[in-house]
Amino acid sequence: MNIISRGIRNAFRNTIRTGSIVVILALSIGLIIAMLAARQGVNDKIETIKASSGNTITVSPAGVRGFEGGGDPLTEDDLASITSIDHVTGIIETLSDRLTTDDTSLNSAVEAGALGERNADTSGVSFTPPAGNMGSSDGGGRSFTPSVQVTGTNNTTTIGGSSTASLTWTAGEAFDATSSDAVAVMGTSLAEANDLSVGDTFTAYDTTFTVVGIYDTGNTFDNNYLYIPLATLQSLSDQEGNVTSATVTVDSSDNLATVTTAIETALGDTADVTNSQDTADATTEPLASVASIALFSLIGALVAGAVIILLTMLMIVRERRREIGVMKAIGASNLSIMWQFIVESLTLTTLGLIVGTLIGVAAATPLTNALVDNSSTSTTTSTTPGMMGGPGGGFRRASQASTQAIQNIQSSVGTTTLAYGLGATLLIAILGSAVPSLMISKIKPADAMRNE
Amino acid sequence: MLVVTDVKKQFTQGEGTVTAINSLSFTVDDGSFVSIIGKSGSGKSTLLGLLGALDSPTSGSIEIDGTDIAKLHDHKLIQYRNKSIGFVFQNYNLIPNLTAIENVMLPMEFAGVPASKRRERAIELLAEVGIADGKEDRKPGKMSGGEQQRVSIARALANKPKLILADEPTGNLDSENGRMVFDLLHNLARTQKTTVIVVTHDLDIAGRTDQTFSLKDGTFTTEKSKTTR
Repeated sequence: MNIISRGIRNAFRNTIRTGSIVVILALSIGLIIAMLAARQGVNDKIETIKASSGNTITVSPAGVRGFEGGGDPLTEDDLASITSIDHVTGIIETLSDRLTTDDTSLNSAVEAGALGERNADTSGVSFTPPAGNMGSSDGGGRSFTPSVQVTGTNNTTTIGGSSTASLTWTAGEAFDATSSDAVAVMGTSLAEANDLSVGDTFTAYDTTFTVVGIYDTGNTFDNNYLYIPLATLQSLSDQEGNVTSATVTVDSSDNLATVTTAIETALGDTADVTNSQDTADATTEPLASVASIALFSLIGALVAGAVIILLTMLMIVRERRREIGVMKAIGASNLSIMWQFIVESLTLTTLGLIVGTLIGVAAATPLTNALVDNSSTSTTTSTTPGMMGGPGGGFRRASQASTQAIQNIQSSVGTTTLAYGLGATLLIAILGSAVPSLMISKIKPADAMRNE
Repeated sequence: MLVVTDVKKQFTQGEGTVTAINSLSFTVDDGSFVSIIGKSGSGKSTLLGLLGALDSPTSGSIEIDGTDIAKLHDHKLIQYRNKSIGFVFQNYNLIPNLTAIENVMLPMEFAGVPASKRRERAIELLAEVGIADGKEDRKPGKMSGGEQQRVSIARALANKPKLILADEPTGNLDSENGRMVFDLLHNLARTQKTTVIVVTHDLDIAGRTDQTFSLKDGTFTTEKSKTTR
């Protein structure tokens, strides 16, 4: 029999009371563990999202957007200076060009129509009317066949343009983006308009290209595109080292602003730099609020646990006042009595930890999902006024993206969570024992003489 | 030898002070069996608490073998209570969730006696007071008042103290058990040369001790000594 065994045995002196305290503590510790798991799961998810979504910066030559505007392309030196910036993990480079009927055997899948002709009239882009169609039937107007848009890329994830998310391969596959081969992929519309299948050939820039893949994005605009390796296009169009757009990937959206500023500083007025900060913020905002709620709940549960054990130990110390006096009268030091009560408190909290862990494991995922669902719902609701058009549309898309991004959070109770839970339990036991220990030190041995 | 010189104990009560022990001086020889009698509130238990270093006097000195316990600091006081004093309380004051033998081993644990020796001595002491044959493993709640008091005496003897202080040790016992407890204490004083000071209401018990002090309002009114022990 020693301090530890006495402390443990004392915890079971009143089994009904011990049971009640353990249940209450278990609920508190269970909530702590569930909130720790939720917080860890959410934080992991935030880090994943920050490294994979809303962490891009688009750099394009100043004054150029697609085929609109003017200016000089970005050069190899520009790209090298971007690559050397801290936190930049990669650059997707693209070079866009237009192929007229003089440059390629391909015909666009899209008829010019009224919009195309108006655009051609107002854009100042020269075109070559198709042979035998120099004038319209009324003899006054002119018509043209839209050019074929070709994009050279060093990363095949750009294939499909704005519709990459819905891209499916109907035949073949993407080319090796690092090659300089005369290979190409195209959308289904362009392939059908030119009666091409995988393995067929066509000409462009006086070179014979082989079709290696055909994709479908679900919309005619993106299905009318032609993609070839970046190096191939740079070489054939006499634009060695040049690109018309660079998408810079940053290691975390936390560094988006810093890297944007660094790129602006490095390239000066030669480039327009835009980042996806709004998307990043909108994506992580609901999760950040879940993490905050989890933190406050965790602190609340910790305080509740400490208060429970504090009140319990105060009650026990008051109840055993004379016993403490007797122990002092027969030679126990304050410290040894305090330790005995701390062991008793630790026994209660450890029992609470065991039961609480089971509760925490069972409750972690449902609680996390409930928090995430509530948070994403309130975020979506708060953006509703902007959904009818205008700037709100973009925000709505970001919100939808964020809602999708925060699904499937894994809030499992791992060893780290259990270690933190154990730490929290120790903290509860120590905080809860502090005041009772002070009370113990104040009890006089003469209290043993009381005849109650 | 116990030498008490001009000991005073005052308590603050409201805005005034109450004098519980008023300038007491007396001497007790080693191995004496002494009784202190007096009415309720006369200061008997306060005096016992002062002698056992459970409380400190307002003034005066209490010397045991030349050491003034009123001047001892915390650590020394704990040692004094543990090794030099054995307490026997009216309500036995055994720790309820410990068995008889564990209660007896407790002061030895505080004194740092090795576990095996504790058990050996506790069995021996319990046998001396008539607690054996499995009764040593019973908890206080499963024992009679007389048995509990005998365990309490065994606990008081655990560290071979110089002084046993008993506060109304027979107060809660029937006459037979009371006599048994008294005989135990009496034998202790005789055979082990342990000084025993008993606070009692029982004049019959007081009459059988070597020395009797009668206390009233914190001062001795009479002191009787037997000529032979």
